[in-house]
Amino acid sequence: MRKSIILGSLLVASLAFAGSTLAADTIPVGHLAAYTGPTSGVGIPFGNGIDDALAYINKHGGINGKQIKYKTVDYSYNAPRAVATYKKWMSSLKPVAIQGWGTADTEALVKFIAKDKVTYISASYSGHLTDPTGKGPKSKSAAPYNFFYGPSYSDACRGLVQWAADDWKAKGKSGKPKFIHMGDNHPYPNAPKAACAAYAKELGFEVEPSIVYSLKPADAKAQCLSLKDSGADYAYLANTSSSNISLLKSCSTVGVKTQFLTNIWGWDENSIKATGAAGDGIAWVVGAATWEDDAPGMKTLREVSKMSDPSGKKPRMLHYIRGVCGTFLMKEAMLKADAMGAITGENIKKGFESMKNFVPAGLEGVCSPSTWTAEDHRGMNLVNVYTSKYNGGDFKMTKLATVEVPRRPEWLGW
Amino acid sequence: MSSSAHARMNCGEFRSTYIQDTTIFPTPLARRTAIAAVIFLLLAPTFLNSYFLNLGIQIGYYGIAALGLNIVVGFTGQISLGHAAFFGFGAFASAWLNNATGLPVFFCIPLAGAMTMAVGLIVGIPAGRIKGLYLAIATLASQYILEDFFSRADWFTGGAYGAMANPFTIFGFEFNNDQRYWYVVLFYVVLMFLFGTNLLRTRDGRAFIAVRDHYLSAEIMGINLTKYRILSFGISSFYAGVGGALFGHYLGFVSAEGFTLLLSIQFLGMIIIGGMGSVQGTLMGTAFMVLLPELMEGGVGLFGHGSSGLMQALAYIKEMSIGLAIILFLIFEPDGLAHRWKMIKAYWKLYPFSY
Repeated sequence: MRKSIILGSLLVASLAFAGSTLAADTIPVGHLAAYTGPTSGVGIPFGNGIDDALAYINKHGGINGKQIKYKTVDYSYNAPRAVATYKKWMSSLKPVAIQGWGTADTEALVKFIAKDKVTYISASYSGHLTDPTGKGPKSKSAAPYNFFYGPSYSDACRGLVQWAADDWKAKGKSGKPKFIHMGDNHPYPNAPKAACAAYAKELGFEVEPSIVYSLKPADAKAQCLSLKDSGADYAYLANTSSSNISLLKSCSTVGVKTQFLTNIWGWDENSIKATGAAGDGIAWVVGAATWEDDAPGMKTLREVSKMSDPSGKKPRMLHYIRGVCGTFLMKEAMLKADAMGAITGENIKKGFESMKNFVPAGLEGVCSPSTWTAEDHRGMNLVNVYTSKYNGGDFKMTKLATVEVPRRPEWLGW
Repeated sequence: MSSSAHARMNCGEFRSTYIQDTTIFPTPLARRTAIAAVIFLLLAPTFLNSYFLNLGIQIGYYGIAALGLNIVVGFTGQISLGHAAFFGFGAFASAWLNNATGLPVFFCIPLAGAMTMAVGLIVGIPAGRIKGLYLAIATLASQYILEDFFSRADWFTGGAYGAMANPFTIFGFEFNNDQRYWYVVLFYVVLMFLFGTNLLRTRDGRAFIAVRDHYLSAEIMGINLTKYRILSFGISSFYAGVGGALFGHYLGFVSAEGFTLLLSIQFLGMIIIGGMGSVQGTLMGTAFMVLLPELMEGGVGLFGHGSSGLMQALAYIKEMSIGLAIILFLIFEPDGLAHRWKMIKAYWKLYPFSY
């Protein structure tokens, strides 16, 4: 009897000890992914990039020897489900950082994460997330714990508009070009709507009333006819790639001659293949190197890719590479936090805010340099505008220009 | 419920008054069990962790809304495909009342129920004239109208961005975590389920059942069909509104995306699995629908740890399992879990002489 008590208490003590060491040596991180739902077309490669990068970081010593303990939850692009998952995590996993996804859920969580001090790296590049203090005249609210890798949706759209203005001049056309915003009535397509339209007006565009088309791929001939009627010269597509495929195909059937512009999630390798010649000439924003590029950091990227594809032969999409960049930036911020004494959400935030023209180690030439300060979370103001050509399946992506968008203080958080 | 509960009377059980016949608890043991269950639930936050409390809270607010649907579908024999929209309306209404007027959440929840009831009474008007599939389509229309309203009415819902909902407070004490909010939901569950059970013992409740069982006979007996059909929709919406408001203040955020047709169908699934026309079954069906996806997730978690392929398949398995459960219940237990529970009780009671 006594023996069993001693044994039992020893067991309990050792378990408690193991538990405490385990807790001290791991860094809890949440990953909210969109593997299903209307944005899964871009959510799957991005989420795979994050999962592979986390596995790679853990395999190579974690954060100064501490492993990242991460949990991936597919929330199907349903904002209430994301908030529910967050609440669940805060009572069990207690993450210090979260890799998130959509605009609706990220913006809904802004106040929660600020209260709980959890650094949040989103796949939403909404301009509303760029103002850490809430001082911007047009900002919705302060978003002190939000970060993302890339130019904000608003800045990306401004960059595209700037490019369009140059394009209009280069083509020797006269008069006022017409600009139109197209997208679903959803926080993500709506995020840059007002900001971009205001800048387009400033650059001398005539801005047409926007057209709504579904984020879920559907026939869009009616919308294309409205677009044709509006006589727009430049149309900004604010949805994700799978929805744009159906829109461009419909517009090609209807015979629309508009120059299409789209954001970072609006176009990729899969959509070029799926849309065929109907997608030729679209101008869109690319936020990192492409898989075929030759850069010093490609070696690390290919090693990361081998985490889920040991053969190393699978070509990775643009979104995958940005997912890796965002995760490696989080790793660097955690290293900085560790140097400050403890890896807490607050220190990770400070780590991010100390980065200036920063590229994560090992990914030189792959990830573009980012800068964050305690006053300004607009990580990037250089917009790389690309175009694509189908070529019967052997498609080509070429860079058209790198546009520098001014960092105006009144644009903070807008 | 009351009729079927007394269908199997025990030997030696005599009822000589109507009061005895319409009692909620047929035996003292049943009453004591119910009271013990409530006491057990009152103590639950002391020993259950947040995960289980969260599931319990979900069962609570969905259960209240599902009971509303059961009143209109199971007791009055109407059909509604727009229940999720009412649930959402309650959530938005409560958040809006609190944000716009500063009225404490404590009062906003019942007021949101009343506002939803008003909307439900309007939407219920077609029910006075049409029935069957036509009514289903009319309620489907209300689902779409309200859903579109949610994503456009910026002043009321915050539009596509959704609205923030403040935590439930009493004199500055915030019910902002699972342990505390548990009591808010438990209070409403007990209140609403008692009200529901009692409603069906009243003249109005019996009128609902008469409308369901044979509307022509009911009308001949002097029951105003239009009035009771619309009233049934109103009461059902009140339940949905209160459930939705509890959901909104629990999550802290209300967005139109949460209240789609799929949720309406899930509410129907809850009452079909639980048992149409059973108050007790409503709660069982809701518990089943809330716990099933969690069980599936746990099961998949055991097999594929961290395998991203399986993680991606998980979402599909979860949705499919719910669909499969509904089909299996329709085939093998069309009377729902409540009926199965009675059969189990009867089995033990009569063992080993099932006569």
